[in-house]
Amino acid sequence: MKFRGKIVDVACLNHFTRVVTTISKLTKTCVLRLNPDNLFFVLSGKVANGGVSMWCELSQANFFDEYQMEGVSPENNEICLELAPENLSRALKTIQNAKSVKVKLTKKHCPCLTVCAELPTLSSISRVVTHDVPVDVIPKRLWHEFKEPSVPDYDVSIYLPPLKTIKNVVDRMKNLSNFLVIEANMNGEMNLKIETDLVSVTTYFKDLGNPPWGDGASQDGGPTQSRDPDSMAEARVDVRKLQQFLVGQQVNPSKSMCSEFICTSSTSVTKVSPKAGGACPSLHPRYRPSECPPPDSAA
Amino acid sequence: MPLSTQSQDDEEHYVLVASLDNARNLSNILKAITFKDHAVFTATPNGLKVTVEDSKCLQANAFIQTEIFQEFTLKEDLVTFQINLTVLLDCLNIFGGNAVAGTSTALRMCYKGYGYPLTLFLEEGGVVTVCKINTQEPEEPMDFEFCSTNVTNKVILQSESLKEAFSELDMTSDVLQITMSPSQPYFRLSTFGNSGNAHYDYSKDSDMMELFQCTMTQTNRYKMSLLKPSTKALALSCKVSVRTDNRGLLSQQYLVRNDDGQICFLEFYYCPDEEVEEEEEE
Amino acid sequence: MQCVVTGGNVKVLAKAIHSLSRIGDELYVEPQEDGLALRSVNSSRSAYACFLFAPLFFSRYSIPDGRNFRCKIAIKSVQSVFRSLATLEKTVEKCHIELNEQKDRLTFTLHCKHGLLKTHNLSYQDSESLQAVFDKDTCTNEFRAQPRVLVDTVAHFPPSLEEVTVTVSDERMWVRNHVEDETERSKAMLTELCLASDEFDHFVVKTPNSVTFCLKEFRGLLVFAESSNLPVSMYFDEPGSPVVLSVTDGVLEGNFVLATLSDDPSLPKNKSKGAHAPPSPPPDDFMNDDMDSYLIAMDTSVASGPSTAGPSASTLTDPCTSKLPEANHRTRTHSEEEEEEMEDGSDRPPNKKFRSLFFGSVFPPSPKISTQPVTTQEVLASDSEDES
Repeated sequence: MKFRGKIVDVACLNHFTRVVTTISKLTKTCVLRLNPDNLFFVLSGKVANGGVSMWCELSQANFFDEYQMEGVSPENNEICLELAPENLSRALKTIQNAKSVKVKLTKKHCPCLTVCAELPTLSSISRVVTHDVPVDVIPKRLWHEFKEPSVPDYDVSIYLPPLKTIKNVVDRMKNLSNFLVIEANMNGEMNLKIETDLVSVTTYFKDLGNPPWGDGASQDGGPTQSRDPDSMAEARVDVRKLQQFLVGQQVNPSKSMCSEFICTSSTSVTKVSPKAGGACPSLHPRYRPSECPPPDSAA
Repeated sequence: MPLSTQSQDDEEHYVLVASLDNARNLSNILKAITFKDHAVFTATPNGLKVTVEDSKCLQANAFIQTEIFQEFTLKEDLVTFQINLTVLLDCLNIFGGNAVAGTSTALRMCYKGYGYPLTLFLEEGGVVTVCKINTQEPEEPMDFEFCSTNVTNKVILQSESLKEAFSELDMTSDVLQITMSPSQPYFRLSTFGNSGNAHYDYSKDSDMMELFQCTMTQTNRYKMSLLKPSTKALALSCKVSVRTDNRGLLSQQYLVRNDDGQICFLEFYYCPDEEVEEEEEE
Repeated sequence: MQCVVTGGNVKVLAKAIHSLSRIGDELYVEPQEDGLALRSVNSSRSAYACFLFAPLFFSRYSIPDGRNFRCKIAIKSVQSVFRSLATLEKTVEKCHIELNEQKDRLTFTLHCKHGLLKTHNLSYQDSESLQAVFDKDTCTNEFRAQPRVLVDTVAHFPPSLEEVTVTVSDERMWVRNHVEDETERSKAMLTELCLASDEFDHFVVKTPNSVTFCLKEFRGLLVFAESSNLPVSMYFDEPGSPVVLSVTDGVLEGNFVLATLSDDPSLPKNKSKGAHAPPSPPPDDFMNDDMDSYLIAMDTSVASGPSTAGPSASTLTDPCTSKLPEANHRTRTHSEEEEEEMEDGSDRPPNKKFRSLFFGSVFPPSPKISTQPVTTQEVLASDSEDES
């Protein structure tokens, strides 16, 4: 089991840092899966931790100039680690001006993901900083917990408006209510609603567009196909959970880094009646910030 | 959508309709008096007055004149209701409420009358938010009977110079003591905290002093906890007038310029805390 | 006492007080012949700092004749005099400091722009002289660097970090975070920086060594050094004796004396390079691209573990956290010292393991005195206000 990667391009380092920082705002620990082509940050939603799950897929070639790995075995060419993204984020944040950054799996006082950066100095010799981020190696028999989640047949899928706009609205709604109802239809319309004794607030978004989910899968008449486009599917979510997801967004998808960003809250898991109390559908942000230009083309 | 779906019918039922191209022109000034949840709104042909009170010792009023609004339609001479100000502010700032170049939140505020909610239609960048905030029976605001003929001392300062003092005030002091006098120290703010006392003296000849009209030496103390909220008003304003009357009642009037350069006013009244012993220590 | 500070020096004074506030809760003020001394010490007496402002720093400086006067003031209240540090330079034209012994008052008067006059009357308490025993001139390891070099170095460590360990060799300095015990070690992120000697203006290592001291106080000095753009000097000998950090220019001198963790006395005094040297490969490794030396093949038992249904994830890490010899001795040292220092009345656990700077017994037999204008030596632990 070996891993070693090197980032030289500043834009890639910066982007990688923002991805990790975004994740660190969402969760205290997560799983990092490495295979020869991709890195995955995975949070598998358990009801115990609020039902938030996350799947973040990064194509290694878009971030790393060098990338070598050897999994637990040739037939299972993967490495699966648990780590605190906050540590990794902190390590990366302090080395934004590095000439080069190496990330490697090392065995020190414990298994570590070692981030090693060469920093510029006024003198002829570079300054070297090493951050050893402790990791737990996850045995293969537990890997199944961190597989890409299967996407259920949603009633409705919709592209979100700029996250900044939603964040502003959700921030205010959080002050007013603990729960928020998201409703959306296949006509590109989405509403955020709260209602309390004091106030009711509804924000109406339109012309958002609906992604063709599931490609071939739901071609043959999945639920999204047979729906009345104007009919709203609604889900009730914990405002704080939604806010937590929005607050960490450092990977600004609207910024033109030619990154295509699809973010889907799984609004259709169930129609939870308001009386169902604490039950809330799993918030399942899907990250695909993988279309960052490869270092070569960026240069 | 919701803006356009209002039928003419609905429109006719409103006793108050007020619109602003920039909701910040309302939210900013209301922020400065949000130290208690409940506010009484009074609409007259002159505009909107919003009143917040605390402990029967403090009253704050925000005045937003009719001219500030792009539309201000009043079906009665006087419309008044009480509303939760914190909730209203969250609604007004639903799109963030920050000044970002080129974007502003348009607002249309409608009220059908007693027992009805206050309805806000907000729009920014094609996104519409509709808020219905429940209203309550208005309480009668206090009358401090602060009358300009009883004013003994008055100064007008550029807010800039008071901002610094207020940001540095020793909060371990229970009171802020204000001394106004035709002779030295002219205009003095004093605190008496854990570690000693502090005095801030403003010269009557300072270029920050726009007007100095003090007829007699007066020293009064006001509760720090009550004065602190006015820091927000100070921060927003460009000029402040400080007056005391013969009973030691304090009036602060703040002149506020909004995003569009229009002028609004904020006014605070405070009862003095206690009689100050004649003998002064410094 | 009466002194007047004008212009940019007001900010220098304010920044000095600010950095002293990182040390302790009280400011010890002592007007001396050779200038105004401002000092502070932390509650466990493991950190001490002193600024001496020469008479030339002031546009006027006069002290009472023939008699020593000293007092101490809550440092917070002095800070509140200079609250708006950022705007101080623009707003304050002159600062007048006057001592009124009749009223037990120290008065700061700030003459500000637009004729605004701010007067702060602060009450004080009498105090003995506060003095730490240290002698930076006999220290065998000496460094001087521009503040930026050190500021950039500590920036890699989180604000919450208590202590750093500095290790030096002939040509390099390593700075890393100090992690208490083994259980923490397996969870904590370890960060290490390696600085080459030519990043320093001055780099003399006679005894390659390793010392661990508090970061917060160090940062306090750096904030001052950076704002006044003064190079920082660092002096130390060996674990257990203090590290001294200094800044100086013509009219002021600042010395921060920080206790270091003691070494295990049972170990041979071989300068403990082995025990404290960073566990990392030689510093040149970065340029070396030989993968095999870095790619650590996990221990076979670990590697095969996952594929078998055997041990749980937590036990897998065991081989890696097996106790290192030096860690053992360190832990023991701490507990011994803790007992020893308990009577100090210290309420800050992180400091307990440091020896007080004021216990003469800690020091080599003949403690030389210092760049400080020490008058007496019996006052080393003079702060008698513990009960107040």
